[in-house]
Amino acid sequence: MKRFFLILLSTLVVTSAGAQSRKERKALFGSSYNYEIAVLGVGQDGTKVFKVWGYDKKVDKAIVQAKKNAVAACIFRGIPGGNGAAPTPAICRETNAEETHADYFNDFFETGGKYLKYVNLTTDAVPSGQDRLKVKGGYKVGIAVQILYDNLRRDLEADGIARRLDAGF
Amino acid sequence: MRKIILSIAAVSLSLATLAQAKKPTIMVVPSDVYCISNGYSQQFVANGVEQTLPDYKKMVQSDRNMRLAITKLASIMADRGFPLKDLEQELKNLEQEAAEVAAMQGKEGGEIVESPIDKLKRTAKADIILDLDFNIQKKGPQNYVNFNLKGLDAYTAKQIAGAAGSGSPSTSAAPELLLEEAVISYIDEFNGRLQTFFDDMFKNGREVKLQLKRFNSATFDFEEEFDYDGETREFGDVVDAWLEKNCVQGRFNRTDGSSNMLKYEQVRIPMFKESSSGRQTAIDARIFANDLRSVLRKPPFNVDCKVYQRGLGEAWIVVGEK
Repeated sequence: MKRFFLILLSTLVVTSAGAQSRKERKALFGSSYNYEIAVLGVGQDGTKVFKVWGYDKKVDKAIVQAKKNAVAACIFRGIPGGNGAAPTPAICRETNAEETHADYFNDFFETGGKYLKYVNLTTDAVPSGQDRLKVKGGYKVGIAVQILYDNLRRDLEADGIARRLDAGF
Repeated sequence: MRKIILSIAAVSLSLATLAQAKKPTIMVVPSDVYCISNGYSQQFVANGVEQTLPDYKKMVQSDRNMRLAITKLASIMADRGFPLKDLEQELKNLEQEAAEVAAMQGKEGGEIVESPIDKLKRTAKADIILDLDFNIQKKGPQNYVNFNLKGLDAYTAKQIAGAAGSGSPSTSAAPELLLEEAVISYIDEFNGRLQTFFDDMFKNGREVKLQLKRFNSATFDFEEEFDYDGETREFGDVVDAWLEKNCVQGRFNRTDGSSNMLKYEQVRIPMFKESSSGRQTAIDARIFANDLRSVLRKPPFNVDCKVYQRGLGEAWIVVGEK
């Protein structure tokens, strides 16, 4: 009887540990703050060039997620420096801009939506090797993107989402 | 009646919303270190001491790299709503203006009156100076650019924005291309900091300097006591009390004072005030100083003052006469 309880207990511990990691994984996959970025250099005037990663169960969905992440990083978090490029601040500087303008960004980031207008160039055709990693529960895919940063900033300013540098003057 | 009141309220609200602060002028000025190390300098002997000063005219006439950097910065800033004052054009205008002032005559033969102060004031000026320095370095066969851009508030002498660093080395790219790349790379970071400065300005007021001085014709000095607002105070303390009442969140700092002068820094003046017509109008250091002058004109001071403007961000009140 004692043995039976021990086995039951150990099974429960293993199951709950597994459940926790699955939960964490799900949170990681679904997080809107999970932008992994490596800057590739200084882009052409008005553009930013960097490598961005996306997670999903399927490779093609992970690529879509990576493109969304690229645009979202420019809007909400900014881009770190590297490879000769200086850091770039976020276009929306107010905290919780995502929540304040939730309706706008829900439409903006709909798959196939307006965000794609600013993704000018990607290497999403054949992600392979280190750029397509099989991780537990799905794929982590890295793509190189060129974001039309100035166009994105101008449109967000025109839509009243971001503050213009000369606002108030 | 209700309708009329509502319409008036709507109009007033729209006027208040439309009010715009005075836009600072911005100009790129090559740093002293850039000008002097590249030979764009002139020597002066002042009071027996030899001084080396930058020669901007020589620089704009001969340095293609600097012209390229200024043009690039100007086009980016214009896109962000801040067309830059061009140093080269400003220098030409000043020369032209001096020639025109000297030559101009009225029909009766009158000449334009210009005091030594007016002549001194005729210099290339901007509210925010973009102090630019760069140099193209070599590392073996590779070239790279060291870049340093500082945004300086011309009045408070504070650095309000900055971006500096080195670009990645390249064997193939021409130095001009590396320079252009440096400008593109650093300008967003720089503008981000500039935006923080503007945000702070709109939240906490424009930071200005204010000085009170006295002409020898003034009937009192700044240590004289007055009965003001139900209290007996020294003149300097009266000015302190007025500033506390009129500055945003009562923020100012008296950095120095004597019987002849009072010096205030970090004076946070509001961006707007309501005019007599009820409209929100933008204010600067001069308009703020004018308000203090009108207090000093009234009893118990009854004194005339000159308000001397030094751009958007500094004003002097000289007590005693206009």
